[in-house]
Amino acid sequence: METSRDDVGIAIRSAFLRKGTKQRFSIIALVLLSILLIFVEKIETKPLNSFRSIIKDLVYRSSLVVSSPGRWIKMATDATKNHFNLYKNYNELKKENLKLKGMISNEEFLVLENMQLRKLIDEQIESENNLISSRVMLDKKSPYNNSFIVNSGGNKGIKNGMAVLDGKKFIGRIVDVNFFSSRVLLVSDLNSKIPVIVEPSGNHAILSGRGKKNPTLDYLPKNHEIKDGSKVFTSGKEGIFTPGIPIGEAKITKDNVQVLLFSDLSQVTFVNISSGDLKKIK
Amino acid sequence: MALLIKQSTIKFFELLPLIILFFITLNGNSVLDLNFFSLNLHYILIYYWVLRLPSSIGYGSIFLAGIITDVIIGVPIGTNAISLLAVASVATYVRVVTVRISLLNDWISFIPALLLGNFVYYAALYFSDYSINYIYLFTNSVFTFIFYPILWLIFTLILKLMKY
Repeated sequence: METSRDDVGIAIRSAFLRKGTKQRFSIIALVLLSILLIFVEKIETKPLNSFRSIIKDLVYRSSLVVSSPGRWIKMATDATKNHFNLYKNYNELKKENLKLKGMISNEEFLVLENMQLRKLIDEQIESENNLISSRVMLDKKSPYNNSFIVNSGGNKGIKNGMAVLDGKKFIGRIVDVNFFSSRVLLVSDLNSKIPVIVEPSGNHAILSGRGKKNPTLDYLPKNHEIKDGSKVFTSGKEGIFTPGIPIGEAKITKDNVQVLLFSDLSQVTFVNISSGDLKKIK
Repeated sequence: MALLIKQSTIKFFELLPLIILFFITLNGNSVLDLNFFSLNLHYILIYYWVLRLPSSIGYGSIFLAGIITDVIIGVPIGTNAISLLAVASVATYVRVVTVRISLLNDWISFIPALLLGNFVYYAALYFSDYSINYIYLFTNSVFTFIFYPILWLIFTLILKLMKY
């Protein structure tokens, strides 16, 4: 028994403490360095943040170069698919166009009515979106983190918490800003929690990502009146996002209320980043 | 000339594990997420090469690959580095204590490496206040284990090409 215990000890020492042949570092030294880095990540100081920004920008650029062949293949595949679906898409667009033409006259009436009602309630604030357009640099959605990198950072005045839109539709928020790039945490991510309002019932809720395609509505009142197709907008309750940015529509399932997003997160190429400043009407 | 070509070919195959490691790292494909399943390519690659030919992938390279992965997928820096080093440490230990090389031995000893790697990864994320999808973790581990023999065969072929 003594001998066997000694053998294990020798094996462990040999495996973890010694550098080994052609190795410059021992495993234990690198493990300790990794633990140190994890703790340092929580420290927020200007020099450290600048250093992190430089490292991240460098890695993103390198990744952009390395992943370019993959992106070209994907673009070529998509172009071929689009080419083959041309006739089908044409017919669908024709039908949609007819439907939209019918809706335009109705919409004009609603816009007019909306303006009159706004005057009637003497609206206090008006949202003025300062939009910054950006391109999606890296779309490496990890299974643990649904996010992507955009090519605007501190150089264009991006700050943490800003709303990110696909056109005019809300898709996520900025969670990490570097000098020339930023990370967007998508609404589908497990760590994403966005205060929302559901119309027409007017219920407030929290839009929680699940790591899957459709996020869910949490903290709804028991007797809520949400139905399939109810529209979900940002509520602006946290004071960062502009209220009323469309997100998606509700779909009642057996266990929860899911939100079918207006935007297809896998197809986003350009985004608008909104500072969400609110301007008071004098 | 023929000798030069042969030497270049051998050098290329010697560097191939390292090239694959950094290619999948920078490409953000360390965890290959397909429609129905996902598998951790990093774990398999590192486990195999540290076990069979430790000189092909150094611990420093593993650490660096982990740091790059952390930056690309957006988790605290050091999280992937420590989990990959955990897998490498199990592989190193197994290499020290085993004599016979066989697919079955490697496959079975891959289980503790997988468990330790995932445990360290999720412990690091837990202490950094990240939400964890346990079902995903479980299915990812199962498929990584299932796919090990396929990649074992491919890597063994590369290993043979290195030697001849």
